[in-house]
Amino acid sequence: MKALREAAEKLLREKRVSLVIGYEDRKGRPAFFAAKPEDCGRLAYDASCRQNLAAYLGKPEIRARLPVAVVAPPAVLRSIVVLTAESQLPPGQVLALAVDGDSFLGTFDAAGVAELLRAKYSTLAPEPALLERVQGLLQKSPAERAAFWEAEFSKCTRCYACRAACPGCYCSRCIVEKNAPQWISTAALGHGNYTWSVMRAFHQSGRCTLCGACEAACPQGLPLMLLNAVLDREALEEFGSRPGYDPEAKPLIGSWSADDDHSYMR
Amino acid sequence: MKTIETRRLPDLAQALSAAGYCVVAPIEEGGVVRFREWAPGLAIAPGAVPANSSKDFLFPRSEVVARFALEPGGFSPAPVERSAVKTVVLCARPCDAAALTALDAVFNWDYRDGAYNARRQAMTVVSLACSKADEHCFCTSVGGAPDGVAGADAILRPADGGQLLVLDELTEKGRALAQAAAGTLSEGPAALDAPAVLPRRFDSEAVGRWLAANFESPFWKEAALACLGCGACAYACPVCHCFDLQDETDHAECRRLRNWDSCGFGLFTLHASGHNPRPDQSARWRQRVMHKFSIYPQKFKTLACTGCGRCSRLCQAGMAIAATCERIEALGR
Repeated sequence: MKALREAAEKLLREKRVSLVIGYEDRKGRPAFFAAKPEDCGRLAYDASCRQNLAAYLGKPEIRARLPVAVVAPPAVLRSIVVLTAESQLPPGQVLALAVDGDSFLGTFDAAGVAELLRAKYSTLAPEPALLERVQGLLQKSPAERAAFWEAEFSKCTRCYACRAACPGCYCSRCIVEKNAPQWISTAALGHGNYTWSVMRAFHQSGRCTLCGACEAACPQGLPLMLLNAVLDREALEEFGSRPGYDPEAKPLIGSWSADDDHSYMR
Repeated sequence: MKTIETRRLPDLAQALSAAGYCVVAPIEEGGVVRFREWAPGLAIAPGAVPANSSKDFLFPRSEVVARFALEPGGFSPAPVERSAVKTVVLCARPCDAAALTALDAVFNWDYRDGAYNARRQAMTVVSLACSKADEHCFCTSVGGAPDGVAGADAILRPADGGQLLVLDELTEKGRALAQAAAGTLSEGPAALDAPAVLPRRFDSEAVGRWLAANFESPFWKEAALACLGCGACAYACPVCHCFDLQDETDHAECRRLRNWDSCGFGLFTLHASGHNPRPDQSARWRQRVMHKFSIYPQKFKTLACTGCGRCSRLCQAGMAIAATCERIEALGR
């Protein structure tokens, strides 16, 4: 904690950044924005930090204050690489204060983040508890699974907390808000809710870093990570995609290769 | 005193159900307690503040307000079923019941909302006084109380260390309900438990005074930095009532939907021209606070916040309206 606070303070004192986006040392560990060196004593990090602070990097009020530093555990570091690969971060404007568990790992620029991930976290896999939940679901019949999701999605109020919490959801106009033509029913009811959550998960395939912020943000407790984990596995198995490691990688759902499997086209 | 053992709440629900009420109660599912329709076999979780508020049963998150049948060369209006089912909200929190005053005001202001009023007429609210409060509760700062009766038709008060509930009828609807449930109620003495102790956190009138004079304060920019602009707070709020109208069409008909909307969304005030009078999140968060503590009391003589704390309890970004009000009160000193 001390090392993190000192590193953040140094960045502000040396005016290398105008803002440090971190977690506050109080219950729930909400987001905290240190603008002055003396604010940094309020920063904290531990396993109870659930927000992915990279989500703030798309917020106009934060963009207006670049350069900034972000307190980033491994999943957030990967989000920074995804955003870099998708040309969403102005070069040299975002630094990461890398943290993991109780350790502060140092201050890194985008290239340094990618290097750190390759060196230290190249074998990051979804948490075993999550994979167990996925296995449990996959053992059900398709009809049972459909019933499970129907019951879950029926709780959705379309508050879009999942979208707001996700660094990958940076579209200025989300497809769910387009009405000419309309792709997804706006009613917070069965069919539209189903389409919304499934479509959001698909838009994250090969981009999601399994940070868990969407599930944590859902006021209704929808098990959104089940969708993300399955798509993560599909992206890896079908396309060898491991998002958030290579800042030069083309996004899986935004690219095409002549070598892609065409066997489904007859 | 009319009493019922707390563990027999499902019997009360059963009796009311048998008497023709649709019973809504706090029910746990997957670790989340929600107000939802009770059915035989479901346990009632009276201790928690449910994630949703009881407004869901007066002002549902989506409803069809008009239908049009599409025909070759045109369309014609089609009837909308408008059924208000006799409903009881059992174990509403006093802060849910208190919200009804604020909702009644806005749904009967320049236009009397038929759908809302039909449901309101058909709804009986049975509050449950709070014996404990958490760090997000602040009803005493906005004119409420853990055992407040505003908006309720009857109130259940915990007694004998939570073992018993004492039912007090407060209105005609409450008396009708007590009559319908008479078979599950006993007459006898009970020692009422003390309501939760909740010191007042801020003076809402002082907050309102500062707000009325500080629309342009730099405070807003900084206060809203953490807000990511979702609608979670508004949708959980027992008083927030903004909605959007959307027409959705298939090959046979068009449905005009009334969906919940939130001032936290950037799209909420976006004009067709592209201009947005609330261009950033600070303008949107300011609107949320202003509406609740300045605009609403000026217009309707009541706050648009009942201190239930749901918004702060669920916000992952830590936006807490009571903390904002405390800071505002300090700025005004």
